Amino acid sequence: MDDLVVGLAGSGGDGVVSAGESLLAAASSQGFHALMTKSFGSQIRGGESSCRVRVSSRKVLNPGGVLDVAVALNWEDFRRFGAELPIGPGTVLIHEAKAGPPPADLAPAGRMPREVVSVPLAELAKSSAGTDRAKTTVVLGILSGWFGVPKEGLDRGLQKKFAQKGEGLLDANRKALESGISFATHHPLSATRVLGRPAVGGPKMLCDGNEMCASAAIFAGCEFFGGYPITPSTEVMQILSRELPKYGGVVLQAEDEISGVGAAVGASFAGRKSMTATSGPGMSLKTEVLGLASLAELPLVLLDVQRGGPSTGIPTKPEQSDLFQAAFSAHGDVLRPVLAPTSVEDTFRVTVEAFNLAERYQTPVVILSDQEIAQRKETVEPIDVSRFELVERLRPTPEQLAEGYQRFADTPSGVSPLSHPGMAGGNYLAAGIEHDARGAPTASGAIHAAMNAKRFRKLAPLQERSDLFETQGPADAPLALISWGSSAGVAREAFALARARGLPVKLLVPTLLYPVAEPIYRAFLASVRAGLVLELSHQGQLYRILRMFVDLPPGVSSFARSGAQPFRADEVLERLEQQAGVLR
Amino acid sequence: MSPALGLGDYKSPLKPIWCPGCGDYGVLQALYRALGAVGRPPHEIAFVSGIGCSSRIPGYTTAYGFNTVHGRALPIAQGVKLANPDLLVIVAGGDGDGFSIGGGHVPHAIRRNLDLTYLVMDNQVYGLTKGQLSPTSPRGLKTVTSPLGSLEQPINPLLTVLASGAGFVAQATPADMPGMTALIEEAIRYPGFSFVNIQSPCITFGEEEQQLKAHKSRMKSLASLGHDPGNQLAALDLARAYGTELYTGVFYRNPSPPPTYDALVRLRQAEIQRGEPRPRARVLDSYARS
Repeated sequence: MDDLVVGLAGSGGDGVVSAGESLLAAASSQGFHALMTKSFGSQIRGGESSCRVRVSSRKVLNPGGVLDVAVALNWEDFRRFGAELPIGPGTVLIHEAKAGPPPADLAPAGRMPREVVSVPLAELAKSSAGTDRAKTTVVLGILSGWFGVPKEGLDRGLQKKFAQKGEGLLDANRKALESGISFATHHPLSATRVLGRPAVGGPKMLCDGNEMCASAAIFAGCEFFGGYPITPSTEVMQILSRELPKYGGVVLQAEDEISGVGAAVGASFAGRKSMTATSGPGMSLKTEVLGLASLAELPLVLLDVQRGGPSTGIPTKPEQSDLFQAAFSAHGDVLRPVLAPTSVEDTFRVTVEAFNLAERYQTPVVILSDQEIAQRKETVEPIDVSRFELVERLRPTPEQLAEGYQRFADTPSGVSPLSHPGMAGGNYLAAGIEHDARGAPTASGAIHAAMNAKRFRKLAPLQERSDLFETQGPADAPLALISWGSSAGVAREAFALARARGLPVKLLVPTLLYPVAEPIYRAFLASVRAGLVLELSHQGQLYRILRMFVDLPPGVSSFARSGAQPFRADEVLERLEQQAGVLR
Repeated sequence: MSPALGLGDYKSPLKPIWCPGCGDYGVLQALYRALGAVGRPPHEIAFVSGIGCSSRIPGYTTAYGFNTVHGRALPIAQGVKLANPDLLVIVAGGDGDGFSIGGGHVPHAIRRNLDLTYLVMDNQVYGLTKGQLSPTSPRGLKTVTSPLGSLEQPINPLLTVLASGAGFVAQATPADMPGMTALIEEAIRYPGFSFVNIQSPCITFGEEEQQLKAHKSRMKSLASLGHDPGNQLAALDLARAYGTELYTGVFYRNPSPPPTYDALVRLRQAEIQRGEPRPRARVLDSYARS
């Protein structure tokens, strides 16, 4: 066995999430790949909670589908997270003995786990550790005993967690861990399943997408962040509030979303690499200022961590339904690059790329992350940052400043040297009003047309950026799987499964969602007769945008659904097989 | 030290779009003079505005101008100042820009207390869109959007700004050019958020009693009333007369200005960065597991 998906649910104070974190840390410290997602009830603090942890000897691409192991501390809370913690006949279901046997209607007919293990968790915790609060530590012991989750890692985790809280607590939890291991030894599973050791077990980083984004922003040279708290992007502002000043940068928690992006645009005008972060509702508010940045040709990075929408929607669940907004929410003719990361690790590359595009083309750039990527914790191989090029905005030369500098000079590339306050000779009027090459306001239709052409021309090189597209599989495959964002992690797994079954399929994962790189899609689609565009939105927004710009073969259809529940690789595989049927 | 700068150094070649007789011409002249007196070279000045007739003003100067979107000049200017505290940052706009669409930003800019100067050209009417009701229009005013007379009490910019805790609050009118020039200069020199409400007549849509001629007979200098600008309570009391009396001069100047936000941010950064500088390339170190 090289993959283990564990889900736990309990009420506030059960320490379910804490146990998940321990499992994650234990796995990562022993060189395993792992990924954890959390889900909470609607209370701000306390209340029911659940988490799922996927541990694997191979790279983990997504949170996984049906659980291998389900842990229910009580049935009421377990049921609440039924959608997050799907069980099936192959699931080993562990439950607190006190809760009694699983209710008959816990799962639909045929989906009930065959192996149900009743464990007196509270009792074992009490007898070993002296307190029933250690019951999730007992669970960790059982997982270690049954599946070979390395005990050294779990013990290290206990040391870290309880070292500060006193020797007594650490000892107690160590005893609880032993008690779980002993339970597992005395109650073996019907079939042995042991997690294989990872082939390359080097040390890994453990972080979430928001942490990765904030870190990448610092690496890329971000010097200013203006924002307003909004779930699920707030952590980016929190991390930067703590970290950015150490690098000489400034963070402003503004009075609203508009002010946050406004300050960021002001800082960019003043010559600094700057950023704002938000989620759907905040993105709506920032739209007008984004248009200003486009017209004034000022670099800016905007992170939109998507959540269920519209309006307040489901703030704590992922959805990929802000693509239309990211690409199109502007009055006038505007082209604004939109990039999407597909994992925690990928968030680093994409964020650096966003800063580079913003600076190179003097434009706002949107990063479309989503709640899953932003808040899931994941093992990440060390990133060699030296392989990243960092781009600085084109600044006027002393000669250009000396001889009648033109801020919006209509150059062949469309990119004009950008001065900033403090630079002698670079004085100009930046404006949201249409302007001539020097920045003087104008109502001339001819100048407006030329400036629009310039602003679009400078982004034309994006059409050729094949490095912003991941392709896998044979170039002549007639079946295509296209996906983006967090769903791409599921698509990659489904693609591997489909290849293993011999389906003639290839995969396309765009990092660059907008503008649509038409030549790249045309080349990819040349051999394609059928396929799927996989994404988590009701409308299938990427599918719709592709139909706008590209001649999608009629056999390519949208596989899309409203957010909250990520796709599972097995259901994608099933749909791909149906699509393959169309080919015959 | 740069050679002495004259008024001409701040005047751009652009010709204002304002109606002949607009009060904003006077504001512009006074600003040229004030900037000349302060003496910062134009490239060290960032002049940020919103949208409206008066918000065109940065383009008529040689400073780095930023004519932004309606109501957002203050947030954008704060970003400019925080990005480079060495700049002289001036913000300008009309009563609609500052107290209607952008009203939500005013108290926050004030409580943060960045070293900014905010000049509002208050004409009690929307001029650019041709004569609609503004947030400072007097109750009962008949306009194209209040044909039977306004039912709303106007906002009082002076009280609003004073109550939010601004350290420097003044009112001026182009009817007194030397006075206005001196007030703008003083506002620029004040170390912290400074606000000048400039009663700048709209020649086209403004009321008779708001024109320069009426200003000349109505205006009363606060100094002539014996007002002590260090007395915040007295300032609040006098500011209540907005709309009935035309007081000019300094309502309030904090006698001991607190450190500005931008100065405090700099101090903190210096404290945090003491020791070895942090290389950005090592930002991921804290996530690495041993």
